[in-house]
Amino acid sequence: MIKILIAGEGGQGVQTIAEILAKAAFLENKKALYIPNFGVEQRGGVSLAFVAIDDKEVVYPKFEKADILAILSERSRERVQNYLRDKTKLILGPAVTKKEVDLPNKAWNILVLGQINREGTIVDKQSLIKAMEERFASQFAKNPQLREIDIKALE
Amino acid sequence: METMPKFPQCYKVNSKPHKFCPGCGHPIVLKMLGELIDEMGLAEKTVFLIDIGCSLLAWDYFDLPTTQTHHGRTVPTAVGLKIASPEKIVIAYMGDGGAYAIGLQHTLSACLRNNPITTIVVNNTLYGMTGGQLAPTTIDKEITTTTPGGKKGFTTIKGPELLKNIAQPEAYLARSSTDKPLVLKQYIKKALEAQINQHYAFLEVLSGCPTNWKTDAKESIQRVQELEKTFKLGEF
Amino acid sequence: MGNQILAQAAKDAGAKAMFGYPITPSTEILETWAKICLKDKSLSFLQTEDEMAAGFATIGACLTGIPAFTATAGPGNILMQDAFVMAEALRIPTVAMIMQRGGMSTSTVIYSQQEVRLTCFGGNSEGFRIVYSPSSLQELYDYTLKAFRVAWQYRWPTFILADGYQGKMKGEVKIAESKKLTIPNLKPILTKGVNLRNCYNMEEEVGEVIANYYSEYEKVRSEIEEFEEYKIKDAKIVLLAHGIVSGAAKLAVDKLREKGLLIGLFRPITLRPFPVKAALEALSGVEKVICFESALGQLAELFKKELYGLNIPLKEVNKPALGFTPEEIIRTINQIK
Repeated sequence: MIKILIAGEGGQGVQTIAEILAKAAFLENKKALYIPNFGVEQRGGVSLAFVAIDDKEVVYPKFEKADILAILSERSRERVQNYLRDKTKLILGPAVTKKEVDLPNKAWNILVLGQINREGTIVDKQSLIKAMEERFASQFAKNPQLREIDIKALE
Repeated sequence: METMPKFPQCYKVNSKPHKFCPGCGHPIVLKMLGELIDEMGLAEKTVFLIDIGCSLLAWDYFDLPTTQTHHGRTVPTAVGLKIASPEKIVIAYMGDGGAYAIGLQHTLSACLRNNPITTIVVNNTLYGMTGGQLAPTTIDKEITTTTPGGKKGFTTIKGPELLKNIAQPEAYLARSSTDKPLVLKQYIKKALEAQINQHYAFLEVLSGCPTNWKTDAKESIQRVQELEKTFKLGEF
Repeated sequence: MGNQILAQAAKDAGAKAMFGYPITPSTEILETWAKICLKDKSLSFLQTEDEMAAGFATIGACLTGIPAFTATAGPGNILMQDAFVMAEALRIPTVAMIMQRGGMSTSTVIYSQQEVRLTCFGGNSEGFRIVYSPSSLQELYDYTLKAFRVAWQYRWPTFILADGYQGKMKGEVKIAESKKLTIPNLKPILTKGVNLRNCYNMEEEVGEVIANYYSEYEKVRSEIEEFEEYKIKDAKIVLLAHGIVSGAAKLAVDKLREKGLLIGLFRPITLRPFPVKAALEALSGVEKVICFESALGQLAELFKKELYGLNIPLKEVNKPALGFTPEEIIRTINQIK
């Protein structure tokens, strides 16, 4: 089983990429269980997503230590320190590293999604794209450029 | 050189930046309220009661005695508090769900009895904290998450107008908007003065909700101005 | 998502009307049902002014023989007790999905198992209810189908007592092949010649009603009780858990069995009626029972009440409003034993 924990702020798209990842796993006939974890604030406030992917049924949605920990905002880092163990692969999003990225910040979560997938060799890139197309069907229809940006972000 | 205006004295500084969404109307209302509490010297006497919903995010906003209540129960809590300690200035602060849906009977009853409390209702025409469901103030044809086909078949609650039927003549009933903060401030002042003069006060404030309206800054302001056509501003 | 599955299950079960009020973590059940109604005009949905109205509106629909349901959580569950107790008194087959969130008061919108007592015995109830505690997305679906059939067949208010984790979990389920499931005993309750009351004059009147309900409940309970035994046969230590905690407990049992510990799990699926006989059989010869729950002893309390006299030490591991990972359960057991 691979356990992925994604942490960020409400509005950064943490839940979106968790959904896409879980969906991509289903497309490949894997088993996945995803659960969001956040408080009452609609924006700001820490937003966590637990995704567990396995070949057999996943019975419990949360876990103690993550195999991959992706952090999208500095503020959420504190909250997830306990999920780190020495083998955890840590991924930091552009808002944390402050590195220059040639992508609109709305797509930064997709960038992290690509990094998570590569780090854990979880699903085929095509599955991610297909899952993204399902998730963003109406947005892509309205603005086809978005699809190009998101596919670029996955790289 | 000071580039930022000072926080009102009654603000709790260490709880800032606040937790409301960017573009929310609550901080505008709370700022006007805060300034008035300073100007009128009410800090020692004021008790601030909030509902469950986005208003609950103001629990540590002020350096004033504050409590969250249960959803829709802010008004009866205020009534009891005021009866027990009439020297306090009691503010019941909530959204349109708490005032007009689950708490409607309390809103009506407090007005009917002329309980001298100040009720402030921040109206964004839907349920914000739970993600944008239908509210009693949702306007016709509006698509919400529980009216996916658009709301139809019934009108909206117009609070101050409704209360006018059962309010005492000296009660203060008004509606303002976050689009006009200085007028809003005047109305809040009158709503507080009404309580000081032992009368019931009710102020509805139209407010933007970019998160659930899914509007950008410009659209949000425009939408509030649109709402002013349905929900008339003024004193009733 | 669990909540979406619940709404779909209700439709597949034959439900025709839903009433509710937004409250996290159950709101998606309303939203999904509202969307389903757009496509199927024979179904109704109303977002009421509050949870009390939702509960009573559900009763109203059931009175005319229409399978109706509601969904709520936490403080909404408190308010709905007003309606649920009346449903108990009048034998109305309401179905309600309770997505447990943090207790006490408003608490968190996330998770707990702190509404066991409230859902089983809330209001001034004597517990004439049927309460299912599912532990997976598939069970959310399957037990919702069952809930409608059982409610109408036996005429007790029936509950799916889930929680915010199950409601928000996303995964896959198998949905019913046959969409035409029939609800037995489905007919209008309030018809000509029927005069219902829940108000009585003299003590003896209501005493008799309650005695009759009690004897009927005791008579049919064996048809309704459900439980799950996991690796119980030679177990010396048995874990007691329900809902999603039982899922984590099963994984813990597996790991501990690998290390040679004779351990199993007894999981009540119906909290009301509690599977007493099955529990007594499962626990005979057992040396210790360890109860894990995300509440302060609410399941344990139920267990103690139903199995009074059972002379096996019970250790309660309580984490109100917090979940248990399998690793944590294992660590705790290793510390205890």
